[in-house]
Amino acid sequence: MSTDKFSQVILPLKDKLFRLALSIVGDKRESEDIVQDVLLKLWTKKEEWDEIENLEAYCFRSTRNLAFDQIATANARLTDPTDLSGESLRFIDEENPHSQLVKKERLSLIEECTKELSDNQRLVFQLRDIEGMSYKEIAEIANISEELVKVSLFRARKKIREMLSNLDNYGIEPHT
Amino acid sequence: MELSRIHSLLDKYWNCETSAYEEKELQDFFSRNDVPFGLQRYAPLFSYRETQQSLSLGNDFDERLKTAMDKAKIAKKEYVTIKIFLPLLRIAASVVLIAGLGASLFFIAKQNNKPRFAETYNDPDAALKHATFALEKLSDALQAGENASLKTLQNIDEMGIDWMALDSLSVPIHVAAGKEEIKKEQL
Repeated sequence: MSTDKFSQVILPLKDKLFRLALSIVGDKRESEDIVQDVLLKLWTKKEEWDEIENLEAYCFRSTRNLAFDQIATANARLTDPTDLSGESLRFIDEENPHSQLVKKERLSLIEECTKELSDNQRLVFQLRDIEGMSYKEIAEIANISEELVKVSLFRARKKIREMLSNLDNYGIEPHT
Repeated sequence: MELSRIHSLLDKYWNCETSAYEEKELQDFFSRNDVPFGLQRYAPLFSYRETQQSLSLGNDFDERLKTAMDKAKIAKKEYVTIKIFLPLLRIAASVVLIAGLGASLFFIAKQNNKPRFAETYNDPDAALKHATFALEKLSDALQAGENASLKTLQNIDEMGIDWMALDSLSVPIHVAAGKEEIKKEQL
């Protein structure tokens, strides 16, 4: 029974948990280890599952906490930005190398921008914009009120919007 | 038109009023090739979303997790055995402790009650008789000793030794011995 629950409820979350960890620690290998630790820890205390109110939110919370622990133990060492070259970036055929470069730069700029966000803002942005969760779910995971989730998300998006607008005014010229 | 809808959706998006579905709609719109120039500046945000959403764990993750889980299972089994026996171990430990304390208390108490001199006679009359006999025997022996020493002293007196003559005989004894002179009375 518990094995079913594990494979039906917890295991499907693995990629989401991975992305959450990645948004915090910024390193793929480390994030994988974090997800493995979280899943393994849950697996070894099956008997406590029934006591956990919201298993999904619990998974996200443990992942977030473990990721923050990881950063703390690494003594806030600087992590390399995620290697974008390995990721499947969508490029249009007509685009020339220059526009590709601009696009890539802008992608990593957004990534840089998410690093500028506060921990709560980044968490909320990650869960809403990347994982498409409801405010209620996010509130449970972040352990804050739904109102605060909205406020954090608003500030995060505002920051990103400002950055994108500024870019057009002073930064890299858009390729036409 | 569609474009005005996109504009209103974007406004809603910045105000955090869009539903998850509407946000998906925006993302789909910005992934198209024909995004108008005025909106292109926001495209990176939505392509970032798309890129991030496509990130996933490595292919070997499941394998590694399974290995780790199997390892944990074995470790857990050992843990369970200890867990079952833990209360029993506690009980056994307390039993040993109580038994040890009881035994030592018992032996200490027993030692304190033990008389130092054991009674060897059951009949007091016999005991008195034997004691009297023993004491009489001791008394006789002492008497004999006293008599013998008196007799010896008497014999020495009868010998009539001239002590003065002995004293003046030769070298004073205290010179030879390096000690105080031995007086006649002390001999």
